[in-house]
Amino acid sequence: MLKTFFSNWKRRIVQFISLGLIGEWSFYGIFRCPFAVPYIGCGNCPVIQCPGRSLWLWSWILIGGSVLVFGRAFCGWICPGGLVSEILSMGSFLKSKLKKRVSAGLAYGKYFVLVLALYFFFLAQNPRWAIPIRTGDFFKSVGLTVEHADPVWIYKILFVLAALGLSLAVPMFWCRFLCPTGGAIEILSRFSLFGFLKNARCSDCDQCRHRCHLETRPSEINCVQCGDCKESCKPNAIEWKSPLAPWRNPDTNFGSGQARSANKPHFL
Amino acid sequence: MAKDRLNRRAFLKAGSLALGASIFTGASAFAGGFTNKTLQAWSCGGLAEAFQPANHAFEQKTGAAIAYTGAFAGALGKSLLSGTAETEVFAPRVLELARKLRAQGKMRWFEPLCFTRYVVATPKGNPAGIEGIADLSRDDVRTALAPDASPPGGKASLIIMEKAGVVEKARKNAVQSGDCVQTAMTTLADGKADAAVIELRISRLPCFAGRLEILPIPEKYIPPAPVPFTIGMMKWAKNLDLAEAFIEYILSEKSQRFFEAAGFIHARSSEGRRLTHKYGVTDA
Repeated sequence: MLKTFFSNWKRRIVQFISLGLIGEWSFYGIFRCPFAVPYIGCGNCPVIQCPGRSLWLWSWILIGGSVLVFGRAFCGWICPGGLVSEILSMGSFLKSKLKKRVSAGLAYGKYFVLVLALYFFFLAQNPRWAIPIRTGDFFKSVGLTVEHADPVWIYKILFVLAALGLSLAVPMFWCRFLCPTGGAIEILSRFSLFGFLKNARCSDCDQCRHRCHLETRPSEINCVQCGDCKESCKPNAIEWKSPLAPWRNPDTNFGSGQARSANKPHFL
Repeated sequence: MAKDRLNRRAFLKAGSLALGASIFTGASAFAGGFTNKTLQAWSCGGLAEAFQPANHAFEQKTGAAIAYTGAFAGALGKSLLSGTAETEVFAPRVLELARKLRAQGKMRWFEPLCFTRYVVATPKGNPAGIEGIADLSRDDVRTALAPDASPPGGKASLIIMEKAGVVEKARKNAVQSGDCVQTAMTTLADGKADAAVIELRISRLPCFAGRLEILPIPEKYIPPAPVPFTIGMMKWAKNLDLAEAFIEYILSEKSQRFFEAAGFIHARSSEGRRLTHKYGVTDA
């Protein structure tokens, strides 16, 4: 299990470095952010201890830039929530058990959560659902936040924790079906310059799907550009390339047939 | 004569040495007296910008560690009153809260700490030409409000505007009316609103530094409840000497500058003494 986990060691190194850099902010966003939608507009947040106050603007600029270049690679390489989900998913007992149709349907859940988040942030002016513990010992502050929070804040946290915890049953449950950031990135990643794509040699054997912790295939919905699947592809049908420059590889036929179907855009 | 001079010189020399030694040992004892000791201190969240540097200075001076929590005093007070939480030193806003804690025997004693000020804030350059709180009733003045924020930022501002007779117009002309003062101030600082009633401390936050202008509000409009802050020793204080030394440091002239820089009037300033008398900030 550990061997599989570290098979793409470069990705693990990047993930652990980013955990060190933005992991604390992730925890603040879940457990101490008093607002309906965390991680956005942190510049004037009253929680002065939160590292997001200095990180949020550059982080979103970098995430936006990375989406345009590498698609949903943020989810697969950087996001601490993604790493936690992957670790929890190592013991998933419903791996490869969800039908493709069910999985594809549930994947729209993240767009629903995204719409809710956009509503609360832009139209409801990101309401405050908890008392901000401006500064204090992390765990005691979490206790105080929970003690004085509105019930809706508690429900939100329980929802997020339950969805993360469900990875113990269904691999990457939160990332695949509910993460609004992943949803937003997925929409924008249609315009990305590079990514893992299938070429004309793809025989639809689904080995890559079995290898994938998100149970998907390159360029399909929920592909986070992790590249873990590349080695599993016996016909060597997975390539790192630009979908905007298919002429660079004669094997890739985007104009017709199997390859076009295999690299079908996510939302069509 | 010569003998006398010599004796005096010897006396001064010995005296200086003794004085130097006593100062050195005294200072060493004070500096090292609390090394590796920890004190838990809570305060109203509004005081966090003043407490943080003051705590740091105290830690450097004494070697003690201050485990500090700053949050809405109403919530912290509720936890302390209900017994779900404990702390050793507490600096709440609202005199009534300190008195309640005293009455329940949870606070040993308290002293006046500082006072807040409410002001009219405008964006830099005051583009709407606001001259005072009365101008918030002008039809062309867009306001930024946070009526649903915690009471010192929400309710108190509304009472001030009500007393000044401008609250209806201010509500009607509000371009922002939410539950977070800092979000409302961002709207104001960005020039999307013309005026707001806030605590002076908000304008001193780093994110608004140099982006706002302030105008005073006559004292007769200010409700008394949110103005005074106290600091008291709680019954849970384990090391009474450390707790007392910390409170004394926070009340000293040395830490006065931290409070003034953060937008408060320190209780031991001349204006602070006047306000202590005015608001009757005395331990029961």
